[in-house]
Amino acid sequence: MSITTVCIIGNGDMGLRLQELLSKGDFRIMTSRLEEDYAEQASSADLVLEVAPEEMALKMEVLKDCDTRCRKETVLATTTANSWVTKLAAATGRPEKVIGLNFTKNPFEEKYLVQIVKGLQTSDDTVQASKEFLEKAGVSVARLEETPGFILDRVIASVVNEAAVMYSAKLATIEDIDRMMKVCVNWPMGPFEFADSIGIDRIVETLDSLSQQLGPKYLPCFLLRKMVHAGWLGKKTGRGFYNYAK
Amino acid sequence: MEINKICVLGAGVMGHGIAQVCAQAGYQVNLRDIRDELVESGIGKIRQFLAGSVERQKMSQMEADNILGRIRGMTDLAEAVRDVDLVIEAIVEDINVKKDVFRELDRLCREDTIFASNTSAQSITEMAMATKRPQKFIGMHWFNPPQLMRGIEVIVHDRTSRETLETMVELCKKLGREPGVCKDSPGFIVNRLLQIWYNEGLNMFDEGVAEPRDIDTALKAAYSFRMGPFELRDMVGLDVALASTSTHYRELMREQFKPPRCLIMKVKAGELGRKTERGFYEYQPRGG
Ligand SMILES: NC(=O)c1ccc[n+]([C@@H]2O[C@H](COP(=O)([O-])OP(=O)(O)OC[C@H]3O[C@@H](n4cnc5c(N)ncnc54)[C@H](O)[C@@H]3O)[C@@H](O)[C@H]2O)c1
Repeated sequence: MSITTVCIIGNGDMGLRLQELLSKGDFRIMTSRLEEDYAEQASSADLVLEVAPEEMALKMEVLKDCDTRCRKETVLATTTANSWVTKLAAATGRPEKVIGLNFTKNPFEEKYLVQIVKGLQTSDDTVQASKEFLEKAGVSVARLEETPGFILDRVIASVVNEAAVMYSAKLATIEDIDRMMKVCVNWPMGPFEFADSIGIDRIVETLDSLSQQLGPKYLPCFLLRKMVHAGWLGKKTGRGFYNYAK
Repeated sequence: MEINKICVLGAGVMGHGIAQVCAQAGYQVNLRDIRDELVESGIGKIRQFLAGSVERQKMSQMEADNILGRIRGMTDLAEAVRDVDLVIEAIVEDINVKKDVFRELDRLCREDTIFASNTSAQSITEMAMATKRPQKFIGMHWFNPPQLMRGIEVIVHDRTSRETLETMVELCKKLGREPGVCKDSPGFIVNRLLQIWYNEGLNMFDEGVAEPRDIDTALKAAYSFRMGPFELRDMVGLDVALASTSTHYRELMREQFKPPRCLIMKVKAGELGRKTERGFYEYQPRGG
């Protein structure tokens, strides 16, 4: 199976950015807003990519709708950052054709990483076709079985959690911890800088779902919870581990 | 306190590089190892490094000569520490050997001489309390190679005096290095957090979530980490990696540091990474 025609469904910047990104491959790409009638576009696509807001019900509605309109071999891809892939897939009549394609923009360079998330029922063919399609567009990919936090959030949230434990224990300052990771082992950012840009709420959600699935060692440090309670969610609120307000 | 003269103990991988950085910053350095050929080998490596710098026009021949002129190699401990303001210890990673050496230094050195240990995994507190000058005892954790790595972890224990800490932070800056202060605890800042980063990568492989290649690619492509956890483990050596993870697990007594199964199995199989041409990845024979 080869993917040549793509339909991106969703409002906002992300849809446009993905269209631009994918246009580097030799594909026919159509973009449709959520409230538009995308039936015709979807019916001609080999792959439908939904970029609806991060709400399970919304995404499910779009995928179910596409399921009824698309050809039976069309791949339905969700960009969700949550581990909803298996669940979303099961709501359609083609769970083996449903896959997660989660895009992360590199904060330092003009490039993306796509985490290709295989749900329980996703077929190997669907994974392979998605991988080939993304590689043709020049995008780096990483395949994984659906798991809380996928690869990136899981690694970063775990590091942030340990750094928060160390800071809470007053072993070192926020600034020194970040700086040492950068100058001693060339990390691109320190753990607290990662935390503030990803969002403390997001980190805590990832740790909560990891601890639910994999045990108490992932339970978030209490400092992180207090920060969520205080509304210190990172850059987006002007206050996280660092203060961004002028 | 003003530092003028420094003794570096151990002319191995770390010691010779530390001595070079100190001499480059203008300090008088005594470089001491236990046998002449070890001292000579360390000084030979410094000479080689400096020759490379001269060749690449990073410094003049005269500068290189001056730097070498500030380093005196020796084996006699009493002579090596006579009149020094600071001893930087970079000898074998064995707590008992280190404690013995510091006890002897305690007798040989002036009362105000600061003792700094470059240990990666031994307790600063334990070494400090083996001396009669715990307030003058501090950790100075360099990264390999010392000539190129800009960060130094400065490790304090409960009784390290403020003056000792300030002197050390000041010294790091004069050496052109960036200090980060951490209380004595297993792995300090950097190795402890690295351990978590490695372990989470390796755990996902153990759980069947993803392959090494995909995990490494994800971290490099999304966040510009220079290498992924599997690549870095292979480079350092999986036996070394397992020993280090096990130490953290034993000392910190938390599940996060438990050695991943895949690492244990690789070591059992004798697949130790690049040095055996096979670890998490396969490598071409060297020079082949
Ligand atoms: N290699 C690294 O990457 C690294 C990084 C940071 C810290 N460290 C720490 O630095 C220390 C030295 O490590 P290394 O890699 O340079 O080891 P190394 O084996 O290369 O060098 C140690 C040297 O110390 C000498 N020595 C032993 N007993 C001595 C004594 N009583 N007096 C003087 N010299 C003595 C040995 O002959 C040897 O030449 C260790 O504590 C290690 O944990 C190593």
